Parts: sequence; structure tokens; C-alpha cells
Amino acid sequence: MSEDMGLIVKTMARATIPLIGIFGAYVISHGHLTPGGGFQGGATIAGAGVLFLIAFGLSEAKKRYDHHVYSALESLGGLVFLGAAMLGLSVAFFYNTLWRKGIAFAGEPGTLLSAGYLPIMNLAVGLKVFAGLVSAMMAIAVYRRWKE
Amino acid sequence: MIAPVFFYSALIVMIGAFLSVLRVLFGPTVPDRVVGVDTLNTLIVAGMILLGAAYDRTIYIDIAIVYALLSYIGTLAIARYLQGGLE
Repeated sequence: MSEDMGLIVKTMARATIPLIGIFGAYVISHGHLTPGGGFQGGATIAGAGVLFLIAFGLSEAKKRYDHHVYSALESLGGLVFLGAAMLGLSVAFFYNTLWRKGIAFAGEPGTLLSAGYLPIMNLAVGLKVFAGLVSAMMAIAVYRRWKE
Repeated sequence: MIAPVFFYSALIVMIGAFLSVLRVLFGPTVPDRVVGVDTLNTLIVAGMILLGAAYDRTIYIDIAIVYALLSYIGTLAIARYLQGGLE
């Protein structure tokens, strides 16, 4: 059994993986304007990771996957979400002080730099979902109990 | 506004999707069913774009793009499994 899928699939994956990544980043960053958001965009980018694993094989994916980096990225996503929720803790938990006081992300509603802490939370959830799904996929891919 | 022309064309796409569902149900071998699912994916993307035009919402096209990219990965995963799996 060959390690990767043939030349056509590999060339196609080289063209498609950046496209999927950029589209997932678009879905995450426009989460407060269009359908989608953190989870959907993160799952889309993790689909690019699945495509990499399928097209290039397990050993090539193992070379580019570091468990500690992805674990740290997933924890960082959760911490940024919690930190954005605690920004307005002097008033209430999940108080959108960035929007109410007009500090940052306080543009006209409907533009990209609006909605206070929502874009930050979307970025954090997208990072967390991407790192978690890629870690789970690699853990399942290297788990080979059926080989004696 | 809702244009009826796009609904009629979406209905035609749905008839084609129903035929490919028949192939998925009655396909004698596994590759027959895979080809049926792949055809169904493409037809559903076409239906999504037609319904997005029918309801006059441009943001529905984003979902069609995501579905087109991810259905390609799904078909590729089944093909990889059928040719022997990850080594």
C-alpha cells in the first residue's frame, strides 16, 4: 500500500488546502456578519488538515504535527475566550465593555470592526476548534491496535 | 423578491438528486454508492446556489462553497479507505 495518494490528488491538495484555509479564516473573521462563526470556520480549517492527512499520508503529517504546539493553541483559545468574557467584570460577566465604551471594535454595526468582543471570541473559538479537531484526528490516525 | 424561475430549476435539480439517491439505495457494489453520493453532493451544491438566487440572499452562496470543499474531502476519504486505508 503506497504512503500517499497519487500525483493528481497531491497536486490538487496543494492547490486546495490554502483555499480551504483562507475560506475558513473568512468564515471565522466575518462570524458576526455572515452565517458561520468560530465553530464552523474552525471545522472548515480542520477539514484542510484532514485533506493533508489523506492526500500526503501519515508519516508526512506526523512530521508537521507537534502535539505540544496544538495543545498549547487549544488552551490559548479557551483562555482568550474567558479573558474576553472577563473584560467588563466591573459591571458583569460577559459585559461587552469594548462596544459600550467604544474602546476597540466599535465601528458602525454591519462593518467588520464592530460588535465589541464578538470577533475576538470568534477567533478564540475558531482556534480552539481547529486545534482540537486536528489533535483528535491525528490521535485517531496514529492509533493502530489492529496491527499485532 | 422571490423569482419562480429559480424554484423550477431547483425542482429539476431535486429530481436528478432523487435519481442519484436511488443509485445509493440500490447500488449493488460499494463504488456504485460512492459515485451516487458524489453526484448527490454536486447536485446539492447546485441546488443551494439556485435556492440562494431564488430567495435573493447572497450569503447563502458561502454555505454552498463550504459544502463543495468539504464534500470533496469526504469522497476522497472514502476512496482512500477503499484503496487500502492509511498505512
